Amino acid sequence: MTGLAADFDTWGVPSRTFLILYLVAAVVLVTGVLIHRRALLAGRSAPPADQLSPQQVAYLNGGADLAVWTSLSVLRSQGSIGVQPDRRLTTEGPLPSGATPLDRAVHYAAAQHTPARQLSSTEWVDRALTELRDGLDQRGLLIGANRRAALRLGPLLLAALELLGVFRIIAGLANGRPVWYLVLVVIGLAVVTTLLFVRVPRRTRAADAALRTLRPRNRHLSPASNPAYAVYGATGLAMAVALYGTASLWAMDPAFAQQAEIVRQPLTGGGGGYTGGSSCSSGTTAGAGCGSSCGGGGGGGCGGGCGG
Amino acid sequence: MTGPHGVGIGWRPEIAGFVADLPGLRFVEVIAEAVPSAGPVPDGLVELRKRGVTVVPHGVRLSLGGAEPVEPARVAHLAAVAELLAAPLVSEHIAFVRAGGMEAGHLLPLPRSREAVDVVCANVARAQSELPVPIALEPIAALFDWPDDELDEAAFLGEILDRTDALLLLDIANVHANTRNRGTDPVALLDRLPLERIAYLHVAGGAEHGGFYHDTHTDPVPPPVLDLLAELCARQRPPAVLLERDGHYPPAAELRAELDAVAAASGFPAVT
Repeated sequence: MTGLAADFDTWGVPSRTFLILYLVAAVVLVTGVLIHRRALLAGRSAPPADQLSPQQVAYLNGGADLAVWTSLSVLRSQGSIGVQPDRRLTTEGPLPSGATPLDRAVHYAAAQHTPARQLSSTEWVDRALTELRDGLDQRGLLIGANRRAALRLGPLLLAALELLGVFRIIAGLANGRPVWYLVLVVIGLAVVTTLLFVRVPRRTRAADAALRTLRPRNRHLSPASNPAYAVYGATGLAMAVALYGTASLWAMDPAFAQQAEIVRQPLTGGGGGYTGGSSCSSGTTAGAGCGSSCGGGGGGGCGGGCGG
Repeated sequence: MTGPHGVGIGWRPEIAGFVADLPGLRFVEVIAEAVPSAGPVPDGLVELRKRGVTVVPHGVRLSLGGAEPVEPARVAHLAAVAELLAAPLVSEHIAFVRAGGMEAGHLLPLPRSREAVDVVCANVARAQSELPVPIALEPIAALFDWPDDELDEAAFLGEILDRTDALLLLDIANVHANTRNRGTDPVALLDRLPLERIAYLHVAGGAEHGGFYHDTHTDPVPPPVLDLLAELCARQRPPAVLLERDGHYPPAAELRAELDAVAAASGFPAVT
C-alpha cells in the first residue's frame, strides 16, 4: 500500500488505486445499465389504454390463460360454445361477428371437444396466443424475447466486471495483499447483477400504467359490484374477465363454469362502498334476505323489487 | 344543492357503469340503507356528484307507518346519508316494515284510518326534526284494501301531506297498479291528488299475472303506465321523473330506450 511496497503491488497497480478505479467503474456501469433498463422497460411506443382490446388487457393482466378465459367467456355469453356432460367443450352456435383470431381458435378447439383447461395447449389456441403476445411485444407492452435479451446485456457486462474483480482478488491473495474491501464490493456487485438478471418483468411500465387506468374506470365490472352483465354486453363481460379474472364468468354462468371446470381465479377486486345489506341491492339474486320490496301492486314477491 | 330535475334512474351497483355513461343525466336515487352512514360513498356515486348530478337517498326501512315511534338510529342514518351526498331531499314510504319487533321484509300498506294518519304524521314529524333536508313521502301500492278503511286513497294522502308539510313522491306505476287491480279510474285519482306537491315521480315496469298487475321493477314499463305518465305531465308536470329498475336488467340499448320513452312521455329532454 505504501511506496515501499510498490514492487509488490498486484499487476503494478496499488490496492487502493485499484479499489477506487474499480468502484468508479462499478458505479458508472450499474448506472448505465439501470438507465438502459429503464428505457427498455418504458414501452414508450405503447398505445393509450382505451385502444387495447379486452383480450390484450387479459394477456397483460394475467397472461395467456386469462386471455383464453376472456375469449371463452364471450363465446359462452354469445351462445357459441357449451359444455358436454363429459366436461369437454362443444360448439352450440356460430362464431359471433367481430370474433378475434383467438376466438376462432377457441371455437375450433371447442368443436374438437377439447376440455377447457387444455385449450391453451392446443395447436390452434397456442398459435393465436403467440400472435397476441407478439402483437403486444411489438406495441411495447410486453417484454418479448428481443427485449429480454437486450435487458440481459447489462448484467453480462456487470458479470465481466465481477470476473475482473475475482481475478484481482485471487492475484491479491497470492501476493498477500489486503483484498477484503474488494471482496465486499464484488459481492455487492454480484447481488445487483443477479437481481437485474433474474428480475425481468413480464410487461412494460406503459402496460402497468394502462392497467392502472383501466381498473378504476371499470370498477363497475368488478364481481364486488355484482354487475348486470346483460347491460354491459359481450365487451363488458370480456373486460370484466380481463381485469377481474374468471370470478366474472362464475358469476355470470356458474353451471357452465362448474361443468367446464373453469379455474376459479379471483384477481384483485375492489368494488367498494355499497353494502347492499339491509335492502335488496341485488336483482340477480332474488330471494333470500331481500329486505325490502317495492310494495308493488301485486306484491311482486322479492323478485328484486325494492325501493319502490 | 339543486332539486331533482328531468329524467333520472335508480342507481344500483349492478348498472353503475351504464348510469355513469348517460350523458344528459342530472338526477339519480340511491337506496339509503345501502350507503354506510360513515361512508365511503360508492365510487360511482362520487363520480356522479362530481358531475353535479343530484343524488336523492331513498329510504325503505324507516317504517313511518309503524305503531312504534320511528327508530332514531334509522333517521340518523338517513340524515347522515343525505349529508354525505349533499342531497336536496330524501324520500321514504308511507308504509310499515316491522311491527312488535318482527321484520316483515316488505313494505306493508296501512289501513286508511284516521288513527293511521295520526301515527304516520307523528313519525314524519319525528323524522323531519332530525333530517337536514325536506322529506318526500311515497304511497305504496297495495293488492288489497283493509276492511276498516275510513278514507279513500286521495283523502288519506292529502291529510298526511297537509299535516306534515311533506313533499309527495308519486309512483305512477303504483297508481296504475292500484286502479287497475281495483277496477277504478286512474285519471280520476290523479285529479284528486295534490300534483303541485310532487317532488318527483317514480315510474317502473311490471307485468300482468293471473288478472292482476304486478309492480315488479324487473319488466319493461308497459304502455298504459307511460300513457298515465303523459296524462299526469299534461296536467301539471312535476320537476323530475325517475325510472326504477331492480333486476333482470336488459341490454344497455333496451334500458336506454326505456329512459327515452319516459322522457318522451313526460316531455323532458332525453338523457341518453
